Formats: sequence, structure tokens, C-alpha cells
Amino acid sequence: MSWVFPMGDELIALGGAFLAAGVVARFGRHIGLPTIPLFMLAGIVFGPHTPGVALVEDPRDLALLASLGLVLLLFYLGLEFTLSDLIGGGRRLVAAGSIYLVLNIGGGLAFGFALGWGGREALVIAGALAFSSSAIVTKLLVELRRLANPETRLILGIIVVEDLCVALYLAILQPVLSGIQGIAPTLTSFGKAFAFLVILGAIARWGARVVSRLVSSDDDELFTVCFVGLAVLVAGVADELGVSEAIGAFMIGVVLAGSPSAERIKRLVLPLRDAFAAVFFFAFGLSINVGDVASVAGPIGAAVMLSLVLNVAAGLAAARLYGLRAEPATNVGFTILARGEFSLILAAMATGSGLDGRLSPFVAGYVLVLAIAGPLLTSRTASIARRVPARLISQGGPP
Amino acid sequence: MNEHQPSATVSEVVLPGIGRRYTLPAADGTHLVVVVHHSGRRDIYVLPPGASPDESPTTSFSLTDDQARRLGAVLGGAYFKPAVVADVETVIGNLLIDWVTVRADSPGASRSIAELEIRRRTRMTVVAILRDSDTVLAPGPGETLRAGDRLVVVGRQEDLGAFLRHVVGVPDG
Repeated sequence: MSWVFPMGDELIALGGAFLAAGVVARFGRHIGLPTIPLFMLAGIVFGPHTPGVALVEDPRDLALLASLGLVLLLFYLGLEFTLSDLIGGGRRLVAAGSIYLVLNIGGGLAFGFALGWGGREALVIAGALAFSSSAIVTKLLVELRRLANPETRLILGIIVVEDLCVALYLAILQPVLSGIQGIAPTLTSFGKAFAFLVILGAIARWGARVVSRLVSSDDDELFTVCFVGLAVLVAGVADELGVSEAIGAFMIGVVLAGSPSAERIKRLVLPLRDAFAAVFFFAFGLSINVGDVASVAGPIGAAVMLSLVLNVAAGLAAARLYGLRAEPATNVGFTILARGEFSLILAAMATGSGLDGRLSPFVAGYVLVLAIAGPLLTSRTASIARRVPARLISQGGPP
Repeated sequence: MNEHQPSATVSEVVLPGIGRRYTLPAADGTHLVVVVHHSGRRDIYVLPPGASPDESPTTSFSLTDDQARRLGAVLGGAYFKPAVVADVETVIGNLLIDWVTVRADSPGASRSIAELEIRRRTRMTVVAILRDSDTVLAPGPGETLRAGDRLVVVGRQEDLGAFLRHVVGVPDG
């Protein structure tokens, strides 16, 4: 036992973290709440800033495992990425997704600048407010048994457009966050990020088979070890180049998505992703002080109202494009209201960049409210739809 | 919407991140919507007759991959085929797959596949035997057929008659 340190304390903390996250999320499931905000809530409750048991004193103790969670989340997102879904959806879907993103990013930016916390903070806020949680939305549709509904294809299509833009947004945000001053260094930084994306994009387009042969094995064990290694390595290299590990992980996911073993990787990586993503959300919760959240309650409330209005508006507009009636139209707006992993990823990426300290508690509170209110409102859309003014709704069939 | 028609009556839609959705009409005007998840789970929704296309389905149930395959086998007639459709076989191109039951008075009962020279004399192949709750996959030539066995046979359509006469025999009456 020379190199395996006596790690009892750390193991107890980690095991406690997993269990606390699991138990809190299980309790939430009974009342129909999604897991992501509850993993974070468990982190807040069992963290150093709240009275009672503190399972982990310092969120940095979980830093490595949490960033593994972040890498696997983005890696899986990349694996699921296919342009054919987007192209297959046609111009109407791209239009619907664009309306949604323009309204929400635009509104978020305006809101961020109105808060006056700073320009870089405004960019993070815009992203945190704009991107729906694909995990919560997908699960919601399955659990509310709405997969056969007329609006479901449209909702999932908007989510695909959003997922693509999350990656772009992360790529743009990273050089901004790293706080580079001056035009030349900023351009160099953008250039490096862009070159990295182009190289990995080219590998995705022409080299997927070669990369997949490199890690591929008939044996599940060897295969898992190899592709996890590849994902983590590329994420690390990306981070060293100043592109952010998230983008690195996403892009290597896109590369492998084009390989013949994509489905198998997805199946093998899923349990790993679920476990370590929970640690990521829990660790984010650890860093949150409830007092800080309370002090930004005003901005949180305003942001929630803004998202509510913008989502319903974007939902109605998208539904109009598709000629959907009142209830499906309302469903679109409320289903994609749920916020989760992407908002938290953006906030977590911002914490190391010396931005305004109110940013993390703000995003935590915002995600907590919308991740819980979104699904609850979505399950009650039938009664909400009756109050939607008739002139906002398409009266005929699809144009 | 990337909707296309695998056959005349089934439409397919890709649900990104979830799987695929198939819609098929049922005899009484209802529509069945089957969602096949990437995880293997199947959700089946029922749209009542006369429902407008943007109405939400009312009934639904979920099956695991295994349960779905069982249901598929039941629907496909692997366990029991009503007499009225007994001569409806599955034909893919020139290839035919059929299920037949060996009766106690069948010429093939209590004789082995080798003895019957099934492949040489009928040009059909027995690919599986469903016997009580067991399944004998790709039975060897030494396998003896018993009364009550359900045989899954594959071959060309024109050879089925010879096979039925040689192994199953003509039912009494």
C-alpha cells in the first residue's frame, strides 16, 4: 500500500457526495423534479456554507472529478451531434431554432448589460439564460408521455439547434473569459481556438475512421479505457491551448460520432457520464452560499420572468411556423423553459476567470427556479393554453 | 420534417436524442404511434379515431426491449395463427418464412430431419423448432421432430407445397 495513500477521509467525502446527490434527487423524482438542479441543491445543503453537515469543506477537493464530469457531459453531447438531424429538419426548423436563440441570447445580453456587472459577465449571463437543458427537456418529454405529440419533433429540433450553438458559444466565450487585453493577443487567442476547431472538424469529416481504429477494440473494457483516455487527453490539450476543455471534449465527441462505433461508445460512456456529471453539479453546489443567492434574489426573479416571457414568445412564434394550435404551441414554450447543465457549465467556467462573485449564485438560483418551475408548468400546460389569446395562435393548418 | 415511408402505411420520424417514431393506422380508425428509444425501450401511444393531427394521444404504455420482441412475436403469429390466416406467410423478395405445426399424424412426426431428407427433397430449411418453452435454433440433421413442434422454415415460395406434403401432411377432414 505504498502509493495508495490512506484516503479514508477523501473516500468518505466522495461517497457522501454521491449518496447525498442521489438521495436528494430521488426524493425530488417522487414529486416529478429533474435531477440536475437537485444534485446542485445537495451540494449547497451539504456544503461548507450552510449549517449542519459539511461533507466536503472545499469544492476544490472534488475539482478533478468534477472536471471529468464536465468533460464527459460535453463528450456525450458531441457524440450525439449529427448534422443530418439538422438538415433533415429543413429550413423551417433552423428558422424556429434561430428565432428561439436570437430572442433568448439577445434578451440575455440586454439583461446582462442592464445589471451592470460588466461586459464579460453579461456574456456569461446571456449564455446561461439562453440555453435550455437538453437533458431535462428530453426526460420531460419521455416522462410526460408526449413523444407522440405534434409539437415534440419541433421541440427536439430546437434542442438540436441549441446544442450546436452551445458549442459555438463556449468556443467564443473562452478567449473572452481568459481576460486577454489588447487587440493582437485577443485575435491570436481567437485564431488558436478557431484553428483547433477547424483541425478537429477536419478530423471529424475525413479522419473519423482512423481515430476510431486507434481506440477501437472488440473488448468493452479496453475500448472504454481507450476512448475515455482520448476524450480526457484532447480536453486537456484544448485547455492548454486556451480553447477550454469543454470544447475539446465536445469536438472529440463529434469526431467519434462519425465513426462506426458511435452507438457503442454512447452506451458505454453513459453510466460514467451520469456518475461524474452528478459530481460536477454537486461540486458546483458546494461553491454556492445561500446567503449570496438571497442577495441576488431580485436579479434572479427578473431573469426568470424575462425567460418565461421570451420562451413563451419564441414557442408561439415557432409553433406558428408549424401551424400548431394553442396547446401544442404552449407546450413548446414551456417545455424548453427548463435550464440546467449548460447554464451551470457556463457559470463554472466563469468562476476561475475573476468575474463578479455574484455570477455563480445568480446562475445557481436561476437554474434552481427554472429547472423546477419549468417541468411543473410544462405538466400543466393544458390549463395554461386556454388562456392564450386566440390571435397569437395559428388558425389553419401548416402553411 | 424528415418523414419518410418505410412502407405504404407506416411513417417514420427521427426524434433526435430519443430514437425513432413510427405511426401506423389500425383497423378501427385509431392510429398507433410506436416510439423506439435508443435504449431499446418502446413506447406505444394510441390516438383515438377521428383525432385531429395535433391532438395529444390519451393512452400509452411502455415495453422493455425484451417485452417488445415478445409482443412482436405474438402479433406476428409465432405462438398461434388463427385458421383463417393460416396460409399467410411472410415473403421477402423470393424468400419465404413460415411457421408450421407438426401434428401427431404428420408424416414427419417422430422422424429426424436427416431421415426425412428435408433439404434434398423439399429444398426448404428448418431454421428453428419451438418446442414447449424451448427454442432449438438451427437444428442439426439428427434432431427428431415431435408432434406439437412448431417449425420455422425458410425457402422459396414455390417449394412450400412440397414441404407441407412431405413433413406436415394434409390435415384430416
